Amino acid sequence: MAGRDLGVNGGVNGGADSGVSGMSGVGTGATGAVRVGPGVFVRLKLRLVAGGLRGSGTRLAGFVFSVIAAVVVAGFGFFLLAALRAAPADVARDLTTVLFTMQLLGWVFVPLLAFGLDDTLDPSRLALFPLRTGQLATGMFAASITGVWPLATLVAAFGAVVGLAPGAGGAVVGVVAVLLQFALCIVLSRLVTTALSGVLRTRRGRDVLAVSAIFVVLVAQLPNLLVNGGLAADPLAMLGGLASALRWTPSGMAAHAVADGGPAALAELAVLAILVLVIGRLWIAALRRALVTADASTEASAVRSSRGLLARVLPDGPLAAVATKELKYARRDPRGRVGWFAAIVVTGVLAFTMNGDGRAAPSLAVLAIAPGCIGALMIALQAVNIFGIDGRSLWMNSVAYGSARDWRTDIAGRHLAVATIAVPLLTVLAVVAALLAGELPWAVPAALTAWGVLGAGLGVGALTSVLIPYTVPERLNAFTGAAPGQGGVAFAASFGGLIAGGVLSLPIVLPVLLGSPWFCVLAVPYGLLVSWGGRRLAGGLAFGRYPEILAATSRAN
Amino acid sequence: MADIVEAVRTRQLVKRFGQQVAVGGVDLIVPRGGFAGLVGPNGAGKTTTLSMVTGLLRPDGGTAHIDGLDVWREPIAVKSRIGVLPEGLRLFERLSGRELLAYNGQLRGIPKEEVERRSAELLRVMDLVDSADKLVVDYSTGMRKKIGLAAALLHNPAVLFLDEPFEGVDPVSANTLVEVLRRYTASGSTVVFSSHVMELVERLCDWVSVMSRGQIVAQGPLDEVRAGRSLNEAFLGLVGAHGHGGGEEGLSWLGATSA
Repeated sequence: MAGRDLGVNGGVNGGADSGVSGMSGVGTGATGAVRVGPGVFVRLKLRLVAGGLRGSGTRLAGFVFSVIAAVVVAGFGFFLLAALRAAPADVARDLTTVLFTMQLLGWVFVPLLAFGLDDTLDPSRLALFPLRTGQLATGMFAASITGVWPLATLVAAFGAVVGLAPGAGGAVVGVVAVLLQFALCIVLSRLVTTALSGVLRTRRGRDVLAVSAIFVVLVAQLPNLLVNGGLAADPLAMLGGLASALRWTPSGMAAHAVADGGPAALAELAVLAILVLVIGRLWIAALRRALVTADASTEASAVRSSRGLLARVLPDGPLAAVATKELKYARRDPRGRVGWFAAIVVTGVLAFTMNGDGRAAPSLAVLAIAPGCIGALMIALQAVNIFGIDGRSLWMNSVAYGSARDWRTDIAGRHLAVATIAVPLLTVLAVVAALLAGELPWAVPAALTAWGVLGAGLGVGALTSVLIPYTVPERLNAFTGAAPGQGGVAFAASFGGLIAGGVLSLPIVLPVLLGSPWFCVLAVPYGLLVSWGGRRLAGGLAFGRYPEILAATSRAN
Repeated sequence: MADIVEAVRTRQLVKRFGQQVAVGGVDLIVPRGGFAGLVGPNGAGKTTTLSMVTGLLRPDGGTAHIDGLDVWREPIAVKSRIGVLPEGLRLFERLSGRELLAYNGQLRGIPKEEVERRSAELLRVMDLVDSADKLVVDYSTGMRKKIGLAAALLHNPAVLFLDEPFEGVDPVSANTLVEVLRRYTASGSTVVFSSHVMELVERLCDWVSVMSRGQIVAQGPLDEVRAGRSLNEAFLGLVGAHGHGGGEEGLSWLGATSA
């Protein structure tokens, strides 16, 4: 922690080319602004990351893992886009449009889904420095692009210049377009997270959000409906349709600017640049507001002390205590709400866009089963770091638990809370999916399979929570993810949890998908078995290493 | 002292953070019953020591015993005997005070009716009845210390560990805390607390352990440790404080004349 403070002081003073003149400026009552370039923020961020990695093997391993993953993503993205040079020009352009859009959406949603993938500066730490809005904006932006994933995004996007640019002049336009697309990804991602965290901290905000979640899912269906409008299952025509729908979205304009060149491209670049500036401004405005606005999410005179159904049904004891506490947190803690919001939206979007992707009319089974299974995995993703939200408060459990069994009960309580919310949600999802697929009876296997997948995902999540726990920051202002340097661990937990959960779900999902719906009767017992196994292993491990879990989940950021 | 089992006894407790030795072979002794103070400057290793004794931080070496039971070998027996109020007031922020106590009691397997009865009494004694249904996140520092202490007392532990219980607490709340703790120790229970406030330690404690740079530099009955001086003087002498901050050199720019 001393290192962090030194980092701030050293960074800011080092960058203000004359720290003394800056200070005397404050003293003499001049404008008071310190001359600080974006370089200072980049160095500060690098120091924070380096400091966060120091002295922890897990975190270092996580960091290395995420660097490798980012290099793979960057390389793969770059070559995929570059290889489009071999494709017909219009196909290449359309594909780039779609890929750019996916990149942008990824930046908006992934940080919401998995806290901590994206570690950034906490702007509240800068609140006392005399910085102008412009400085703060460029500084926060510079700090935001200093990271493994932003770089990977940039490298991948540059593949489009190789793949699309018509000539040397086109390449210049292309470079600018790619930079703008990249900047847009960053500022939009930041704006959404900052604004959401602001909204979520008010009491009304969460109701608004619940409604808007449905709205977002519906809007996401629009391109789908357009595409479905009379197009055959021809992938190229489908691509063309999708691309034309996305033509005037920012990503579409960026892709077209690279591909087309000429004055039109310049106009598109100008529009993009303005968009980046406007969104950047909005982001900083939201940030400034968030920094000086009190968290209103708790400003009730009193909370209702009514006991939920779960508390009445469960026997008195630790299991009921943990489960009801977790349910209260899902309701009262903005971080819990963001997680559930993102899980629902992404599930909705992913699940129901599958209908329309036109790949030779997916079978009835896929249409009915897939949404529930994806939803179950997304919800399970919320449980890959089950002790994260408790964080520094977890000592209270630690001083009470004296055996592996106690920890197992604790994890079971958390799973029970997740299931209490997730099972009805997945049931609704299964029914809707079955209705959309046109065969209501399929709702039964769909729901059963989804529950099974949830169980498998929770089982995996219990292990990741114990083996690679990480800190979820208490402050939602900045919507920072993990403490700097912990992004790698968060990535490993989320990604690993997702993959392992998916693989473990295959034994129950595959037979159903391949046309044996009766197999779904085994899904729930299988899910229960995997989650029980996960808890059993995790309970023992947690008892053996709870001081380490405590330390990992309560790092200051 | 050989014939009685101490409430707390550590032997050569060691904790390193990377290169830095936070606690370097601490032999903490706390006799049973009454108040024991753990004093020392910032960074002396008080919090690290208390964390290791309460089973929240794994020591790199040495042992810790509470009532003769090894903290790390017999966790169930130890954990039911101790109550803890760690530094930094890390509580479940989104529970109300009443819910926090209920949570704590249920975790420890105390029957619900009993938890409710004890919670009500603790809330009343701590003067928290009006705020019992507010979320802990909205509590002031004094209220948080009080609800934290209530949570630590709920299962009636034999030994209570409090890390800086009076830090940032207003005099009224501090008085409440002291009153409750006095009642608690009157029946023979033990309170171990760390503090910077020498006057308070002097007023409350019959036993003092002084830590400096990861070592115990003095330990024993209060009168023995202060040896006729005030505890503050004895403390400054023990930790080897030289009057920094009063010298003429350095900081010449500080102050209104420098502009």
